Amino acid sequence: MAAVYGVTRFEFDEEKDLENYAVFLADVVHGRPPLRPLFFIDSWGRWVYRAVQRAAEQLSLPTTKGWDARYIKGYPYLAVIETTEQEVKKREPLFRKRIRPYIEDFNAIWDERKADMMNTYKELKQRYGLKKYDDIKKLSNIELLDLFDDYMQVNRKQWDIHMEMMVPAYYLFGLFEQMCNELLGFGYTDPIFARLMAGFDSMVFRFNKEIWRLGNWAVELGFDKLFRTTKDDEVLLTKLEESEAGKKWLKGYYEFLEVHGWRTERMLDWATPSWIEKPSLGIPLIKVAITSGGTYTIEERREKAVRERREVEKEVLGRVSAEQRGWFEALMKAAQKAGYWSEDHNYYLDLYCNGVGRWITREIGRRFAEAGVIDDPEDVYFLVADEVEKALIPMGKNKLHHQVDVRKKEWQGYLKVAPKSYYGNVEMVQEILRKDPVISVATSVPIVRKDVKADLYGAASSPGVVEGIARVIVTENKLAELKSGEILVAPGTSAPWTPAFEIIKGVVTDGGGALSHAVILAREYGIPAVIGCLDATKKIKTGDRVKVDGDLGVVYILR
Amino acid sequence: MSEKLVLWFEEVGKDDGELVGRKCANLGEMARIGLRVPPGFALSVEAYKDFMSMTGAFDEIRKYLAKSKPKDLKQCKQASVDIRRIIQSKTVPEKIEKAIFSHYNELSRRCHTDEVAVSTRSAGLLSHPGQYETYLNVVGEPALVDKIRLVWASTFNPRSLAFRSRKKMPLESDPIGVAVQEMVKARAAGVIFTAEPNTGDSSRMIIEGNWGLGESVVGGESTPDIYILDKKSLKILEKKLGPKSRYVTFKKGGVIEKKAPPDKSGQFCLSDEEAREIGKLGKVLEKHFSEAQDVEWAVEEGKPFPESIILLQTRAEIIAQNKTPIDQIVDLMLNRFSRGVGYDGGKM
Repeated sequence: MAAVYGVTRFEFDEEKDLENYAVFLADVVHGRPPLRPLFFIDSWGRWVYRAVQRAAEQLSLPTTKGWDARYIKGYPYLAVIETTEQEVKKREPLFRKRIRPYIEDFNAIWDERKADMMNTYKELKQRYGLKKYDDIKKLSNIELLDLFDDYMQVNRKQWDIHMEMMVPAYYLFGLFEQMCNELLGFGYTDPIFARLMAGFDSMVFRFNKEIWRLGNWAVELGFDKLFRTTKDDEVLLTKLEESEAGKKWLKGYYEFLEVHGWRTERMLDWATPSWIEKPSLGIPLIKVAITSGGTYTIEERREKAVRERREVEKEVLGRVSAEQRGWFEALMKAAQKAGYWSEDHNYYLDLYCNGVGRWITREIGRRFAEAGVIDDPEDVYFLVADEVEKALIPMGKNKLHHQVDVRKKEWQGYLKVAPKSYYGNVEMVQEILRKDPVISVATSVPIVRKDVKADLYGAASSPGVVEGIARVIVTENKLAELKSGEILVAPGTSAPWTPAFEIIKGVVTDGGGALSHAVILAREYGIPAVIGCLDATKKIKTGDRVKVDGDLGVVYILR
Repeated sequence: MSEKLVLWFEEVGKDDGELVGRKCANLGEMARIGLRVPPGFALSVEAYKDFMSMTGAFDEIRKYLAKSKPKDLKQCKQASVDIRRIIQSKTVPEKIEKAIFSHYNELSRRCHTDEVAVSTRSAGLLSHPGQYETYLNVVGEPALVDKIRLVWASTFNPRSLAFRSRKKMPLESDPIGVAVQEMVKARAAGVIFTAEPNTGDSSRMIIEGNWGLGESVVGGESTPDIYILDKKSLKILEKKLGPKSRYVTFKKGGVIEKKAPPDKSGQFCLSDEEAREIGKLGKVLEKHFSEAQDVEWAVEEGKPFPESIILLQTRAEIIAQNKTPIDQIVDLMLNRFSRGVGYDGGKM
């Protein structure tokens, strides 16, 4: 047993824990590269698992009471808390009632929740008189401490809503996928399935549209060459300041950031800067938009996707027998909304909330460094919340260099770890996945196919076979390295990666499930994807020639 | 009173629902077409009516209800206690008792025993599964008469009263037949649906089974093994081991639910051969009755295959067509995620 960052809450006792749970699965989607303690312990660890358990209880899920977590060698692992047979029977009647509204009108619930959440962020800012990004510097230490604690409750609320929506979304999506398989013989890797789920106007697409608009506008203003040739994005911003047209563009860009800049480089990590804090972060995506042709295709593509979706809906419904059509159509509509939610929610939940968290913790870090509590503002992420609280008031009295040093060493050690994909009985995984269709959002176990000899095995997630040069990208800030026609290899992808899908030929990930961002976008853009390979980012090196088989779910390294 | 009070199953057929109740009529029909059903006899609906009127129970009940008509479930519960007490206080008229005894003794003789163990089940004019009481492993004349009276009395149990009240049906009487059938010493038992009950998919049949008597499956308390068969080829498309944590077995004068030993819950209760035979019989019944059937079956201990496969009853399957699409989706969710039916693994 080993405490992680001095905290015993997630200690793994292999013997005892495996008596209690059949198997623990690594969550590489969220845990790679290893997260620093302040976020890992006090944001992720504190609110996420609680929220899943809460959602399972609230929905009275028959087969699971949520997830239990252990941190092993710096990585999060998940176990499904199973119910007994008696509990299953007891929970079913209430589940029937509680799941209904999500089937009937998923969007109505989501619209209400996202409005509530946006209002909550607004209210938090108003309470402390924070209108502009830099206003936070004007707060007293007392106010900053209060803001930190109030934010934690907002963070809690965000995760509670997240899981309340995510669990039903996965139940609906998972059931629809199974029924398509059973009745019509196609799974979610089938192009038909992709078309059924495509063309919804989610926040991801509005964001994407904005990026393309900014790109086109820059070209119109004659900055085409400047964007193409200026390597350093900070320099690019200063050069734009030099002309009236450039100032105009920047004003528009900053307005865009007011809305969309509440996103950190790594979606779920406070230790990476947000776009609103560091505006140069958005430039690589705008460059991608400019270099990949500059013609505005997104809206056209969406319109085409909508048309195709309508056609495929008709065709699919026509293939279902008359007596089954009623429920099948209702399920299809609900699953489409669940798919839409899984695209739409990142902005309102993960990204925005994490962006605000970055804002507050970064300001705390700045003051700590100024007062000599720590050496560098970014060292704040090696503390835990208790230490932050005790050192904020009186400021400067408590020095925390030692804590930072110890934890930094520990974290650096974890960076070298290749996490085991699971502990316990791997044969139980299918059973676990059945009982909790949600867990696949974070975990996956490679399905080794005996009939195919490949280098990596994952899930066939978006159809097609493609060969190309691999580009391994572990964090979003390296996205600009991506060249047109390459194959993206990543731990997982989130909303900020969207524009990359404009230029890549295929995608391979370590983790993720049927509703993960990479899969949705790969289907939307019609490129092959193999997800959940676990070690893709380790085994594949940038520059390798790889063959991605999205039909079989395997990857070949050709070198 | 010209009707017969007690009839052998072989004396009735599928059109005799009004005479002996649906269940008995279908049992008779199964026996007629040569399917293996446990031998037994039916008490006619007339026998119920006779008992109620000859003993004066009917008048007393009517008077009671005129005085205090139950309006909610709580009042139904009270009325149920009072009315069943009235019925229990009445002696079964000699003429009915005699007919029961003579059939029971003849049944015992046919089964080569002195006092054959039987089940006594209600047989309503319409099928109301689970609404009335059933008594299992009933042995000897006194116990049998007592249990038959209890089955009759169960037409006044709270849920039956509440059901009739909701449907605006007369409360004072609900004539039913009673099926008296030799108990099968079941090694395993369960049900087969000749069409997928949730989706109506008629290309597949679903078998659910557990160790011991079928009550654990019918009552839904224990999660059974599940087999999905292709109806055309009888190929087993899929089987799913249920935890089967509890099963129902014999005890003196009745049955008891027990915790399943680990070696049993970890093992399929049917061989593939047995599952296919059950499927074959299900198909025969569906064809004969011209609609999807919900059939109870048992595998008799110690009998050679295929004689070991016994049918206990059949009825038209209720397919979730009249449920709302939302209800059907919830049912599917429970089936797929909670019970693992149709899960094909790895794709999610």
